[in-house]
Amino acid sequence: MSDIVNFDRFLFAFTIGSHILLVSLSIGMAILICVSEFLLARTQNKYYGGLVRRLVRPFVVSFGIGTASGIVMAVELVNLFPRFMTLVSSTGVIAVFYVEIFAFFIETIFLVVYVYYGNTFKGRYTRWLLTLPIVVGTLLSAVLIVMVNAWMNTPNGFDIGAYVASGSSYTVTGVDPWAPFLTASTGYEVFHVLGSVPLTGVMLLGGFFAYRYLKSPTAEERTLFLTGLRLAVALALVFVVLSIIAGALEIDGLWQYQPLKYAAIELDPTPGSNDPMTLFGTVVGTSIVGGLQIPGLQGFLEGGKTMPGLSQYPQSSWPPLIIHDAFDVMLIGGALLGLFVIAYVALWVTKRKPFDKPLLAYLFLAFSALTATVMELGWMTDELGRQPWIVYNVLTVANAANGNNALYGPGIAIIVGYCFLVPFTFWFMDRVFRGKPIAVDLSGPAGGEDVNY
Amino acid sequence: MSTINWLFEINFAIFSVFFVLFVSELMGGVLLLVAYDATKGKVLPYLVPIWEVTGTFAAFWVVTGDFAYPSMLWPVANLLAGLILVFLILFVLRNASISFAELILKGGRISEKRLYQLFGIATIGIAVAVLVVLSAIVSGAGVTLATLNFSLWGWVTSSGSIPYVVGVVFIAVGLAPVFYDIAPLRRLSVPFTVAGVAVEALGLYLYSSSFLSGYFLIPAILTVLASVMYQFRSTIPLVTNKLVFAIVGTVIVFSLSYLVYPTAFGGAIKVDAVTTSGPMVGAFYVLSAVGAVVVGLLMAFYMLTVRNAAKVPGVPSPAPSVGPVVHNP
Repeated sequence: MSDIVNFDRFLFAFTIGSHILLVSLSIGMAILICVSEFLLARTQNKYYGGLVRRLVRPFVVSFGIGTASGIVMAVELVNLFPRFMTLVSSTGVIAVFYVEIFAFFIETIFLVVYVYYGNTFKGRYTRWLLTLPIVVGTLLSAVLIVMVNAWMNTPNGFDIGAYVASGSSYTVTGVDPWAPFLTASTGYEVFHVLGSVPLTGVMLLGGFFAYRYLKSPTAEERTLFLTGLRLAVALALVFVVLSIIAGALEIDGLWQYQPLKYAAIELDPTPGSNDPMTLFGTVVGTSIVGGLQIPGLQGFLEGGKTMPGLSQYPQSSWPPLIIHDAFDVMLIGGALLGLFVIAYVALWVTKRKPFDKPLLAYLFLAFSALTATVMELGWMTDELGRQPWIVYNVLTVANAANGNNALYGPGIAIIVGYCFLVPFTFWFMDRVFRGKPIAVDLSGPAGGEDVNY
Repeated sequence: MSTINWLFEINFAIFSVFFVLFVSELMGGVLLLVAYDATKGKVLPYLVPIWEVTGTFAAFWVVTGDFAYPSMLWPVANLLAGLILVFLILFVLRNASISFAELILKGGRISEKRLYQLFGIATIGIAVAVLVVLSAIVSGAGVTLATLNFSLWGWVTSSGSIPYVVGVVFIAVGLAPVFYDIAPLRRLSVPFTVAGVAVEALGLYLYSSSFLSGYFLIPAILTVLASVMYQFRSTIPLVTNKLVFAIVGTVIVFSLSYLVYPTAFGGAIKVDAVTTSGPMVGAFYVLSAVGAVVVGLLMAFYMLTVRNAAKVPGVPSPAPSVGPVVHNP
């Protein structure tokens, strides 16, 4: 494969890897702002008001940078993989993108109104109502882009056989423009993203609150961060349960619709019904080398179904087996996260105050980083697991990619720029979060007063 | 009998809205760059909320373009790959600088002024990239379709290119005082706008004499009229009303659609031949109709909120976009 194709591939992976981190944080902030506004309206507790006012400022920054990186991705898809986008635009997948624009509009308009003109609205619950479409818009954007990803994994909505048979003329026929809204894998992929992305967002914020809670010099600040931390944990509880259920369903979907990816993820060299669960290791020939095997566990978890094996497919079509390691880290990280949440619930049920001792706050910080890592690895597993295809069994990355060498210079500039921009954005968000004295922030949510006009 | 290509019309209408919003940003960016302290009071209250909407319209235009012209994606991506990535870098810089400027704390090493000016520079850079791309699509300057090659040098040396860009810059400078109601710059408005329209006409003529048809008169007259109306006290309130300006601006840009329809790239591409067909057309219409309602309602809600904000004491009152126009005597 040519260098420029690999460069296209790397550039897009790098951009989307950065983007999903920002977007998760944005979604987490949108949800926390919405919940805090509701609790503020209901209880008039000033700490919820302080939390809202402090979160809105980094949310604006995150939205600005997230929008830019989203548009970078959208344009990069055309620029780096034009044959892929030609197929997308000739089929109903582009309709999914089109609907996403409306979700984007809902998010943008309500965000602008809420942030800059929030105080124009009267009524106890009105500000909270304004935040609802922001949450819906952000989640809908994530859902719709995952619907595109689902179509890439289980394509439909056109005559696939005729397209493949047409060879280099790439002829699209038999189009059903609405079919890509519901592919074989749409349901479980959407369910998965609705659990995992908000989970990452609230865990990242919870980690930040935990850190600031440990460092805060005043009782008022500690109370504010503790309020945020408790909210983050409560929300994480919900999303971690959703993620576990969705993850299990997704594995089942892979077994059914992408058996090769399943075999690579589970590291099954040959087909069988009582396979062990293998942690790490690799495959040489038809044998597993290295790693830790737990006999019969995979077969037990899959209810005795017959598992596919790598040996059923030519080795040239295998995805990189590193996805097995990525999946294992994800699995272990997810299990640890689940245990952590259970421990927190146990402490809460037994009427102890989990954050009275700093250990749990430090642990939260560590689990926050782990959740982000797990999400990135999950995405990596999904995307690398489809290689060498960009649209599974239909179009390869090599055939879809742009071979224009003019991409190198600006592409490298984008990578270098992101290396500075993303960390700087996180640093800046921390600065603006704490930018105003606590007394000012506890006076309640702003309506544009915090903006430099 | 020829029929209307509605996919083209819808996509071009969305482009027109985006372009007007973007030019309004460009005008603001230039003013912030050259006279920050004198103009920030007029420019920032408009710019700060609207830049987020402009970006959304940009995405709207790109996606409807992808939808309408799938067979053009391969040639466009190959032709303009490098230039498009440069645009992306500048776009990120634009968003980053303005969102940081909005919220940066006072008294730090970097001031909000520097960041807003960086936004101005990024916006000018985007404008140059966008104009190069647009003029290449209009005229085919620098483009070799047979080999899918774009030469920046070929574009520069094409006789119409420089006047094409200079004309737009002059018009933007001429209309900036009108849009932002900067009274001290009022006298510059007419000469710059007239010169801009003339130079733009020259650029188009040099590209192809057919571009300078009777169709050019409507946008030319409307553009000059805006600057002329700004000279008279009685017409100032109308011409500085941002909603009126945006609507007229959209009409002006939309009336230039003849430059890329029925043919683009200097006559080399027939638009009807590259427009999507079959069941995708129906889907495009259905989604566009639904989208028009959704976006229309959202924009109405936004404008209503801005109007109400002007009446509420204590709320920062950005841009009398649709509200009463306040003019500096």
